[in-house]
Amino acid sequence: MSDEHLPHHSAFRFHGRWQEFARIAISNLLLTIVTLGIYRFWATTREREYLWGKTDFIDERLEWTGRGMELFIGFIMVFLFVGLPLIVIQLVTQGLIFQGAPVLAGLLMFSMFLLLFYLTGVAYFRALRYRLSRTYWRGIRGGSDNPGFQYGLSYMGKTVLGWLPIFLMVPWTMISLWNQRWNAMSFGPHRFSANAQWTPLMKRYLLFYLVPFIVFVGAGTIVVSMPLSGDAPEPFGGTGALYFGGLVIVTVVAFYIIAPLIALIFYSKYFRLAVGGLRLHTLEFEFRARAVDWILFFLANMVIIICTFGIGYIFMPYRNWKFFIDHMEAYGEINIDELTQSQTVVEKHGEGLLDAFDVGAI
Amino acid sequence: MSAFFDVAHYDGQSAVKRKVEVQVVGQQFYLAENERRSGPFAFADVEYVTRQGEADVYGLNGRDGWRLTLSGPVPAELTALLPAPRKYGGWVDRLGLGKAAIAFTLTSAVAIAVVLLSPQWLAPLIPDSVDDRLGDALVGDFGGRFCHTPAGDAALDKLVASLDDAPQDLRVEVANIDILNAVALPGGNVILFDGLLKQAGSPDEVAGVLAHEIGHVREKHVMQALLRQMGLAVVLGGVDGNSGAMVNNMLAMSYSRSAEAEADAYSMKVLGNANISPIGTASFFDRLSALDGSAGDSKDNMGIAGYLSSHPLSASRKDAFEKSIVKGKNYKPALTPTEWTELKTMCAQDRKVKSGFGFDFY
Repeated sequence: MSDEHLPHHSAFRFHGRWQEFARIAISNLLLTIVTLGIYRFWATTREREYLWGKTDFIDERLEWTGRGMELFIGFIMVFLFVGLPLIVIQLVTQGLIFQGAPVLAGLLMFSMFLLLFYLTGVAYFRALRYRLSRTYWRGIRGGSDNPGFQYGLSYMGKTVLGWLPIFLMVPWTMISLWNQRWNAMSFGPHRFSANAQWTPLMKRYLLFYLVPFIVFVGAGTIVVSMPLSGDAPEPFGGTGALYFGGLVIVTVVAFYIIAPLIALIFYSKYFRLAVGGLRLHTLEFEFRARAVDWILFFLANMVIIICTFGIGYIFMPYRNWKFFIDHMEAYGEINIDELTQSQTVVEKHGEGLLDAFDVGAI
Repeated sequence: MSAFFDVAHYDGQSAVKRKVEVQVVGQQFYLAENERRSGPFAFADVEYVTRQGEADVYGLNGRDGWRLTLSGPVPAELTALLPAPRKYGGWVDRLGLGKAAIAFTLTSAVAIAVVLLSPQWLAPLIPDSVDDRLGDALVGDFGGRFCHTPAGDAALDKLVASLDDAPQDLRVEVANIDILNAVALPGGNVILFDGLLKQAGSPDEVAGVLAHEIGHVREKHVMQALLRQMGLAVVLGGVDGNSGAMVNNMLAMSYSRSAEAEADAYSMKVLGNANISPIGTASFFDRLSALDGSAGDSKDNMGIAGYLSSHPLSASRKDAFEKSIVKGKNYKPALTPTEWTELKTMCAQDRKVKSGFGFDFY
């Protein structure tokens, strides 16, 4: 039993059932409410255990081994080392404003903003690292030896570089950070390599980028053409109102429907490119969801949430994971004998729990 | 030695799946695969990992990725030696979902009750030096916006002395800011804003508002509110974002209302002792509510400064002040006409004071 040839169906298969997930999600909701939110770390863990356990990669299920306690301790540490200092800084800033030192207060607030900016980058990195280190397949896990502090700096730098040319380089920022993150990760003995290109993303980004201008110009054209159009009879003198109403509708449609649609069209391409550039040793990956799939997915989510008066929100982790796995694909072959245990740092209970930065709180 | 049925096994070193036979010897077991036999392993080191479909997965303490997957009916002798499956997390599994939910509800209720009620007992235990330092840090010289003239200061001192037996603990100032407000802050700091003095029709009105703020200081409302806010922030820290803030604000607001009522009662008592008529205060509230009926809602935008600001707007409070008038009592004005003019125009007369404009209050 050495080479595992990938089957004809997708290498990734999800066979969870929403009814099973509902039992988990509803008891989670109950326990989260009565514990004033503290249970949510264990809730996340239970949901992931279910979702991972219902996901096949080739011939064996994934396994989530993260613990609620890890996430909880991570949260407490973030609260102590980030949350509390921020509250203190906020009080000090208020005091400084009271005492008429707005420049100092401004500087303090700016450095607070920089710190949060930096930590956001670190948190993205560490969340991915944490998830890989807790994901097992055939007894083998992933991880990274990189603590992600350097990545935090790159995150700041690349984000600012993306903004500088009037936000035109944002696609480069996104792809480049994705590549940097994944290039630091490994699974078993193999390092991931991420070589996604950003230039193919530009066409769709420009579409997204230009929507406000197109809408603005379009609206302007309607306004200008209004007095010029001599052929419009005015039996009720209501043409002006009609045009104005049309303008309002166009604007609303543009901002609440067209903009999110184009954002999804852009994001679907981004995710396809990003995953498509990913390799693990002899494996290549592909994400097959097209823009239409993403749009239908989001519309269905909205319908579910609205029709259940918001309760459906608790199914979103299930829906997200199912969407992700259903569209994931892998090619190539794996030599099972070669796939040995990851030697990356593993944090035992109570050690190096900064890895549990995976709280999404910052 | 008794042999048990076949189980799937990963050794955590490579991804190769093995079919092994569990051989139990007392509190230990061996894993046998054809001619190979590994072990012994102690049952005490076996950990429950997760449930995959119909199978329970076990790991071994200290062996990363080591797995035994037991599917089908497990013999009772073996089950007795294996750790119990985990469903919701340690505590909930031990108690059962129903009992745990009740226990958590009670604990949460107690925690909230402690946080809401304990500041009343704790606030008097905070040493004055802490309170003073906090007040100094927060207020300082208010960016040079406190108004001072010899005659105005004398009038203010007289007013404070008539309302309080230990005026040396208090620091009452008039700030050159044109808003209709007054605040009590830590360290016995009371700030009357110039806008309030300008709007007031008589010194009795100012005396009533000032007595209300002194009431907040004497009843330790400021420290109570601070402690309560900090406690709620900790207890509700587990609840995410908006809902936590909403609950927090609702609880804090209800306490701020009862504090307002206490301060009102204090004000009426002190005015009576000082022989100052409460009718001015009543009519002042009347005018205030006519002027800006919603002023009471904007206080939470102002952080701790606004937390205990005085907005006694409701009609019932006006009635209360009117009812506290003792018929036939020989009230005397809080200040002489000259003193009143000096106090009212103190900010206009003070050349050195900084203007309230540019003061980023709201």
